[in-house]
Amino acid sequence: MSENTQAPPEYRSRRAEKGRLAWARDRSLITLCLTSTGIVVLAGLVQVSLGAYSMSIGQAWQAVVDTDVLFDARWMLQFFLGENLMRTITGFEGETLPELATGTLVVWNIRLPRVLVATFVGMNLAVSGAIFQAVTRNELASPYILGVSSGAGLTILLSLVVFSGLAALLPLVASLGGAAAFLIVYAIAWKNGTSPVRLVLAGVIVSTVFGSLQTAMFFFADDIAVVQTAIAWTTGSLTGVGWEEVRMVLPWTVASVLLAILSSRQMNVLLLGEQTAKSLGVSVEKVRFSLSGIAVLAAAASIAVAGIVSFVGLIVPHVVRNVVGSNYKKLIIGCLFVGPALMVSADVGARLGMIAVTGSSSDQIPVGIVTGLIGGPYFLYLMQKKQELGEI
Amino acid sequence: MSNETTPMATKEERSVAETDERTDLLSANSSGGEIAGKRLVVGYPGAEAPVIEDETIEVEPGTVTVLIGPNGSGKSTLLKTLARQLEPESGSVLLDGSDIHSIDAKEMAKKLGLLSQESTSPSSLTVEDLVYHGRYPHRGFFDRVTEDDQAAVNRAMELAGVSHLRTRELGSLSGGQRQLAWIAMVLAQETDILLLDEPTTFLDPHHQLEVMEIVERLRDESDITVVLVLHDIEQAARYADHVVALRDGTIQARGPPEDVLTEELLADVFRIEATVEQGAGWPKVTMQSPLHGEQQ
Repeated sequence: MSENTQAPPEYRSRRAEKGRLAWARDRSLITLCLTSTGIVVLAGLVQVSLGAYSMSIGQAWQAVVDTDVLFDARWMLQFFLGENLMRTITGFEGETLPELATGTLVVWNIRLPRVLVATFVGMNLAVSGAIFQAVTRNELASPYILGVSSGAGLTILLSLVVFSGLAALLPLVASLGGAAAFLIVYAIAWKNGTSPVRLVLAGVIVSTVFGSLQTAMFFFADDIAVVQTAIAWTTGSLTGVGWEEVRMVLPWTVASVLLAILSSRQMNVLLLGEQTAKSLGVSVEKVRFSLSGIAVLAAAASIAVAGIVSFVGLIVPHVVRNVVGSNYKKLIIGCLFVGPALMVSADVGARLGMIAVTGSSSDQIPVGIVTGLIGGPYFLYLMQKKQELGEI
Repeated sequence: MSNETTPMATKEERSVAETDERTDLLSANSSGGEIAGKRLVVGYPGAEAPVIEDETIEVEPGTVTVLIGPNGSGKSTLLKTLARQLEPESGSVLLDGSDIHSIDAKEMAKKLGLLSQESTSPSSLTVEDLVYHGRYPHRGFFDRVTEDDQAAVNRAMELAGVSHLRTRELGSLSGGQRQLAWIAMVLAQETDILLLDEPTTFLDPHHQLEVMEIVERLRDESDITVVLVLHDIEQAARYADHVVALRDGTIQARGPPEDVLTEELLADVFRIEATVEQGAGWPKVTMQSPLHGEQQ
């Protein structure tokens, strides 16, 4: 615009030179993303160096960047798409792929997928939380505010204790349970349309009832192993996840993240209040339901591979908002980096904490316990620092 | 109480001095939109009696119409119904002759803008980003910001007098500045019809006059149809082409301010004793005291 070049600098539009990738020039966002990536890499390296076959950070790094596997498309395809697809795509007919060094094999086969799953779960939960915070216009909303966790929790317990035949399908059952609970919440909240308050209240109602039923289920579990499995699922754990879980969560992560980025303008307009959004031509009910659907998809995908990890979806959008402001385009991008940083480092924390306590690197506590331990104090810190919490 | 005597001469006198240099700010292609509510009955869920009972309002295109009335008289309800924020129990709202329910939400938002009383926003939002949200109905799902959008935003900020605040965050502004930023947002929507719900309430005198100056320019320099709710009777007298006075959900009087704003009507509708001086310009209303005793 010609008038912008003539105007004094403080009057000048920042928009004038902005394009679609304007967020990429936001310095605070870039710093945040780079720092988070650094944390993911560091914590990830520590994670892959831990375990029965112990190695130093340096050895771990060498194994991660081993070109034998990194530049071999067949290995990559086998990891990310599965062996059958790899054979179809590459036409590979040999018995097995070329042998790798032991370190490389251990890192790539067993340990790295865990870091990747943590990364995707972190992304999903952070994005899901960010969306629900826009939908309810409340920065204390989490991915589980509309009943997803209680629905998933109940179906997890049901399939472990009552319908043990379903245990093999646990990931699917858990996500479907979460989605079903969300639909029930929506049905309860609906009365000539919904409102953020009605949705949150309906979420409380469903969570309370399902939570009680879930606790009751524990009562009927007669085997300590079943109880431990149930606890791992309901607090969130990454123990034993592998490439299968990566393949399970990846497509849903890509889908929900893309949809979230595409909907960022809708979320920004929702933040202006329902009346304003309506008067700008937003079909508020439709948008609210679709956005919730995206968020539930992301949350359910993460539940399927890691169980119900708490606090990540609550804290991460909060942290990002404090750094980059409330613009959802930047917020979502930031969440994609900070979510993994928190999740991967909490998982390492769970591992190291157990080593410190028992001295053994094979015992593990669920990562959800660590995220809770980080989440509580973070909000305590916020309470001390900020006067107002709640509305965005 | 009809409006056959539109005081053309006086209004033109007032504006002619400042018209010339500024007209370019108002988009040339806007034409006065037609908005009308026919036999509207509007209530809230749970409430016994409807707030608006069988009222019809036809707004003359290109003019400024001010809705006045005491608290709870239904003026905001009427405005929200015209803006499709509230669903009437019966009756219909016509926008340029067609029922608003037959119009797509985004299409409607290109024709009719509403400044709500609600207006909450994240405090870290900048003025410019807020005003860009006014372009929402003009942009498709994948569309990027066009030059039209930029031009509209710049014009709107100029007209609302917030260009110098464009990079400021809303949280750092005074209530008055924030209201002007919101007005810039609805102006950027570039609609033929603009509905403003109590745009001056809670503002200091300076910002009240800033807001009303924008309304005055919309009246004098554009064909945009403006309907606004005001609490201030004197402002209504000064800036309106038409005044609609409501009490208890019914329209008590409508017409040009000098016809509507009489001492009798103020006593009847607002239950106040006031003196009204008719003369050059607009009727001068001076409020004296509240009337006590039973309401008729």
